[in-house]
Amino acid sequence: MSVTEYDVVIIGAGVGGLTAGALLAERGFKVALVTRGEPTACLSTGCIDICSRDSKPLSGINALPPEHPYHLVPEKITREALDYFQAAMMDMGIPYAGAAEENRFTLSALGTLKTSCLVPSTMKEAPQDNKESIHIVTFKGLKDFYPGYIISRRKNTKSSVYDAGVYSTMSIASHFEEKEFLEKFITWLTRLDIQEDKIACPAVVGLESASEIVNTISILMGKPVFEIPTIPPSMPGRRLFNALKGHFRKKGGTIYWSWPVAGIEKSGKIIEAVTTPSEGRPNSINAKAFILSTGSFVGGGLTATREAIIENIFNLPVHVPGPRATWFDNDYFSLNHGIGRAGIIADSSLRPADCPWENIFVCGGILADSEILKNGCGHGLALATAHMAAQSCAEYLSDEL
Amino acid sequence: MLSELEFHNKMIKTDVIIIGGGATGCGIARDLALRGIPHCLIEKGDFAAGATGACHGLLHSGGRYAVTDPIAARECYEENLILRKIGEKCVEQTGGLFVRLPGDSKRFREMFLRGCDEVGIPAEAISSTKAIELVPNLNPEIEEAIKVPDCSIDPFRLCLLNIRTSELRGGIIFTRHKVTEIVKSHGRCTGIKAIDQATGVVREIHGNIIVNATGAWANMIASLAGSEVPMTLVKGSLVITNHRLTDMVINRLRHPSDGDIIVPNEAVCLAGTTALAIDDPDNLVTESPEVDTIISEAGRMIPHFNNTRIIRAFSGVRPLLKSKKADSHEISRGFQIIDHENGMYSIAGGKLTTFRLMAEKMVDTIMTSFNLKKLCETAEIPLDGQEELSGYPLVKRLTDMKNIVCECELVTRQEVERIIKQTATRNVGDIQHRTRLGMGPCQGGFCTFRALGIMNDLSVISPDQSMEMLRGFLQRRYRGIRPALWGDQLREEQLVEYIYLGILAMEKPE
Repeated sequence: MSVTEYDVVIIGAGVGGLTAGALLAERGFKVALVTRGEPTACLSTGCIDICSRDSKPLSGINALPPEHPYHLVPEKITREALDYFQAAMMDMGIPYAGAAEENRFTLSALGTLKTSCLVPSTMKEAPQDNKESIHIVTFKGLKDFYPGYIISRRKNTKSSVYDAGVYSTMSIASHFEEKEFLEKFITWLTRLDIQEDKIACPAVVGLESASEIVNTISILMGKPVFEIPTIPPSMPGRRLFNALKGHFRKKGGTIYWSWPVAGIEKSGKIIEAVTTPSEGRPNSINAKAFILSTGSFVGGGLTATREAIIENIFNLPVHVPGPRATWFDNDYFSLNHGIGRAGIIADSSLRPADCPWENIFVCGGILADSEILKNGCGHGLALATAHMAAQSCAEYLSDEL
Repeated sequence: MLSELEFHNKMIKTDVIIIGGGATGCGIARDLALRGIPHCLIEKGDFAAGATGACHGLLHSGGRYAVTDPIAARECYEENLILRKIGEKCVEQTGGLFVRLPGDSKRFREMFLRGCDEVGIPAEAISSTKAIELVPNLNPEIEEAIKVPDCSIDPFRLCLLNIRTSELRGGIIFTRHKVTEIVKSHGRCTGIKAIDQATGVVREIHGNIIVNATGAWANMIASLAGSEVPMTLVKGSLVITNHRLTDMVINRLRHPSDGDIIVPNEAVCLAGTTALAIDDPDNLVTESPEVDTIISEAGRMIPHFNNTRIIRAFSGVRPLLKSKKADSHEISRGFQIIDHENGMYSIAGGKLTTFRLMAEKMVDTIMTSFNLKKLCETAEIPLDGQEELSGYPLVKRLTDMKNIVCECELVTRQEVERIIKQTATRNVGDIQHRTRLGMGPCQGGFCTFRALGIMNDLSVISPDQSMEMLRGFLQRRYRGIRPALWGDQLREEQLVEYIYLGILAMEKPE
């Protein structure tokens, strides 16, 4: 068995895991991140929702019920987390617009105004009300975007179809990275003689340089241009993931890709290692501390059986909202499903409650009572708790020395 | 198909009006067509929307009723032979096993074999080793099995095939039309009024005879004519697995009870059923405990059932004629034709397997009342349109991977467009039934958004309608998967919820 030693092992490559990992690597710790595969962040709109229940996200957080995990993070740290994120993304070439003081809207592919806080610069020109007229440019054969849904709500909307010669989100996005393709697209766009206030495209306008491409189109057309996030596969989600991954590596972190944790090695109050069945790579990784950032059900951190809810890596005690019959509300649209409260209860150092081991810290969507969809707090909570968990973990490691 | 004239004509005259597009109604339309009687069929939803579409799709060998109801058993076996012959391409001749588990009564086994023998159902007792050779997923602890000629059949396709004959011979068919009134004159039923649920247009159809073949809704329709059909409505719930765990129908060798059957159908299996008396056939809720019962009972026959992914649960209503027997599993599955003596007949009871026989008897009665002699031919003439409508043409689907809009079932945009043009539908459910779009593990989570977008692109529905239908679809979908939410299906559900309520920020309907 091959063994490798680290200070910290992060489990999970989502927004929380990559951020906590970067922070610890930055402080000089030797950090490895293990992941089964791509995180759910890739499926997201790339927007950072902090708390969508109030027009001011920080007041929204204050109004959350006392058991909400946001309350484990002092406001100062939450603010630092958001500043750090914006600086890191700027550095990685995908600037984010917005500030923690005020929420803003993006336009959804159904034409609704979706509340968020920090948004990719490609979405910053999204209308903030129903007044502005919009010209939507969609792409022939793109199966995940139908302007009709937006037109049903915004009567002052028109749409045109561009034939990109390719038909999937990914291939259209990569074509936009080619100068010739972009020029041809802009020539076509100019000929449309668009009268509307703004131009919108589904979020397929480029891979890593989307921000520059949207800017270029906007300057040449003399009108604001913005992206509308689509259902997965989502380019803005992928851009966010790639930037966070790049940032983590830049700080010196190591990623073990396709490395599902199959077992743990423990001794007394300490977890010593995580193990994997994969061949040809280290199949046991030792560390002094572990950060669990595996997400909720979709991310794979939790699994529900007919009788119970299980935490998949350490088998930590899970807060279960009640018997199965209470997990889902009768009303599909209620957002009040008991299952949203399932997860790991943590203390103020983000150590799991009733956990036999002292060197595990948790962050992100796996935390109990987060009710992410209801509160509109996904990536925001991940960033805030990642900073808190990284800080607690760093303190623990320093005490150890 | 309607001619242009008929489509615009709001007043139609025919001989027989059939209300109900389940297997019985469609079977009657086919029989009338073959005997040359003009007719018009009205269905409030799509074909097979009631009990026909909400059953396990079993073409009974009759074995299930050999002990409790020998008449029904004989009818089943005879119809089983007929359907295998006339519907060669749409029946999957899986064969079936009745398995005896440790603790199951040996006496019932003797009664079963004797019953099959008396009715004439071929039944062969085989050892557990032989049974496991046939179905490797079977519980290795079974004591023995009895092999019978059960088959699997797709009820929706069966309806389409029956309707095809009617269409080819001038039958007039209206789906998505709800009967609102029975028109009477001097105490006799002379016609109906029906509203087109998509456009609100009201049609008036006149005929000499009205056949009420509405299953669980029979009493409601009869009451529009001032008549009555005393029925017991029994809810039966089923689950669908993500995999085909057996190639044969698996029954439990015991008195009929909950969770005693597993039927393979295309790429999946259906397992059921439960039996609970209910009042309102329009308000069916499948409860979690029913799902748990079905899984644990099915899991005793095929242990893998306990770990397999359940993609949906649903309930149907057995329209049984009123009986004094307390246990609803024991109520007669026989059927009855009720002459309301006012120009309306109700045909109720029965089961999917005997739909053709029911139709034959109904049309015989109509022929007598018209004083016509032509005999029934539905048992001899093969079903029309089988080549085109049968089978799950996976090979065909694999030829065009470019424009897939439903990844679970490999349905292409072209296929969706073809159905929209062919049926002139304004209802996404019609596309789902005809293409299998949305029938896979994600249960339409991704593709329904696309199908409605395509309908809007083709201008068959307005943007507002596509939005409205998307909401309605999500609510219906949720009702089906809610009782089966754990494991991977819960994960999938959370993802779909995240997409619609998160990414797409869909608001709560008013």
